[in-house]
Amino acid sequence: MNDVLVIGAGPAGLSAAIAAARQGLSVKIVDEFYRPGGRLLGQLHEEPDGVWWNGLAEAARLDQEARALGVNISCGVSVYDIARCDDRWRISTTEGEWESSLLLIATGASEAAVPVPGWTLPGVMSIGAAQVMTNVQRVRVGKKGVVIGVNILSVAIARELQLAGVHVEQLILPPLSEVSGKAGRPHEIMRSLLRVAHLAPSPVIRLGSKLMGSAWMQRLAVAFFPSKGVRMWDMPIHLRTAALEIVGTSQVEGVRTARVTPEGLPIPGTEQLIPADFVCIAGGLSPLAELAAIAGCPFAYVPALGGHVPLHDEYMKTPLPGLYVAGNITGIESARVAMSQGTVAGLSMAQASGLLADDSLLSQAQLQVKRVRQNATIQFHPDIAAGRELVGQMAAAWTAR
Amino acid sequence: MDAQQVIICRCEEVSLEELLSTAREYQCTARELKLRTRAGMGCCGGRTCRILIEQIVEQATGQVPTHTVSLGYQPPVRPISFQTLGGKSS
Amino acid sequence: MSQRIFHHPVLGSMEERTALQFQFNGAVYTAYEGETIAGALLAAGVRTLRVHEETGAPRGIYCNIGHCYECRVHVDGIPTVRACMTLVTEGMCVTAGSVLPTPLKKGGHAK
Repeated sequence: MNDVLVIGAGPAGLSAAIAAARQGLSVKIVDEFYRPGGRLLGQLHEEPDGVWWNGLAEAARLDQEARALGVNISCGVSVYDIARCDDRWRISTTEGEWESSLLLIATGASEAAVPVPGWTLPGVMSIGAAQVMTNVQRVRVGKKGVVIGVNILSVAIARELQLAGVHVEQLILPPLSEVSGKAGRPHEIMRSLLRVAHLAPSPVIRLGSKLMGSAWMQRLAVAFFPSKGVRMWDMPIHLRTAALEIVGTSQVEGVRTARVTPEGLPIPGTEQLIPADFVCIAGGLSPLAELAAIAGCPFAYVPALGGHVPLHDEYMKTPLPGLYVAGNITGIESARVAMSQGTVAGLSMAQASGLLADDSLLSQAQLQVKRVRQNATIQFHPDIAAGRELVGQMAAAWTAR
Repeated sequence: MDAQQVIICRCEEVSLEELLSTAREYQCTARELKLRTRAGMGCCGGRTCRILIEQIVEQATGQVPTHTVSLGYQPPVRPISFQTLGGKSS
Repeated sequence: MSQRIFHHPVLGSMEERTALQFQFNGAVYTAYEGETIAGALLAAGVRTLRVHEETGAPRGIYCNIGHCYECRVHVDGIPTVRACMTLVTEGMCVTAGSVLPTPLKKGGHAK
């Protein structure tokens, strides 16, 4: 029997396994994908300093390091249940059951759907699906496509598609509806994009973003947003055009669009049909916490972290005995944050087993999480720190009662 | 296509119109809406549409999300064969 | 035409990989070692992996990481296998699902 079971071989799970194994714990990781790496697989972007962040290489490095420390990694294994049995956790998987006294759930995030009429047609996929197909499977998702949903993730992945020789015709908004939320409102999109404008390849956009601090300037920019869109890496990004419908008989043939008002309402007489053989839907990410819920973990609803997250403290420990969480299940942030959280979780589990030789390692790792968060190139949400504080307070209150 | 006919639950092909009208008529919780329409009860276990169902309930009834997860999770969280459930590896 | 990305400006060129033969709905396709069923079929231009069991509407990959189950197929007789998570093996026999009868759909509970 292993000391530690980890569900999810992404940046958090692998980092936790490495940290725990270094302290002498025996660790087993299960992951349902056919290779380790989780959401690292396919990530590819140029940092402001000109260095490429290659998630495939990061995943390979973590995988090698974990295996060298004796970590057992089982891929292609799906966990379908978690239960508390005596003093241990038992996970039920498609390859059998395993038990351990310490369990880390690092299942990451799932993509939020933004329904568009016609979105069940073959050729319509989530933006993350296109990323994996392109950079991991090395297969083009089509010749010419439209990305519906303008956000940090969609702009970054559209750029990756283009690098691989896939033509992205336009990035546009989803149709405004009861389920589109902020994603269909040009004002809201403008605000969120300004937070990442410093990453833009164009000095004009970078300079422009500095002038855009005030709310009235933002309103003006949306009102006069160019009808041809703003080009980033030669891809037109449209904040005043929305998809009305994806059309096709047996697969995607195009997207019907219309110009929209600054509030997101379609303007009559502005409809167009953009021919395309694929469409990507980009609704952002939300924590994938189903296994924590089944384990009985209490939750907090924190929009800044992407939705419902399991309660946990700064040691990544939940209020349930021996149950830990790390990575995007605790809130949507970058892979680097997930890795640093994983290290904290691994060291915490070592401490809980009485095997942590030096307690300062853990406090250093906790500081590192904050440092990585502060230095993150991409802030997924402006209120992450406040959201994390709320989760910590709720966890403390839960444990105290 | 009428925008209200857009499919929300891909597994069970439940439309926005059906979900909205059901939620308005019964002023119900996300759980009751799921049971009435089958939205979120298909092969994927609601992983794709659960947030959408919660948004629809919020729009139709004014119920705002709380710290408690409104649509509960039940094992198994993956569709598995009886053989696997019975302890035989697939 | 194959849609494989053999050369990538940042990720580099693909190594030589073993070619594998497999079947999808009775037709023979070629995959390369390390390709999922979904990847190999998309490279061959196949987007439709199944039809909706009730309406017959065509479906293909959606999330590509095992969450949505839209790409589920039968593999060597086993149902509900995710094409996006399953690597092709030599001689694998893959079939799309079909429309299933729903005789009890309105049974007793029709509005």
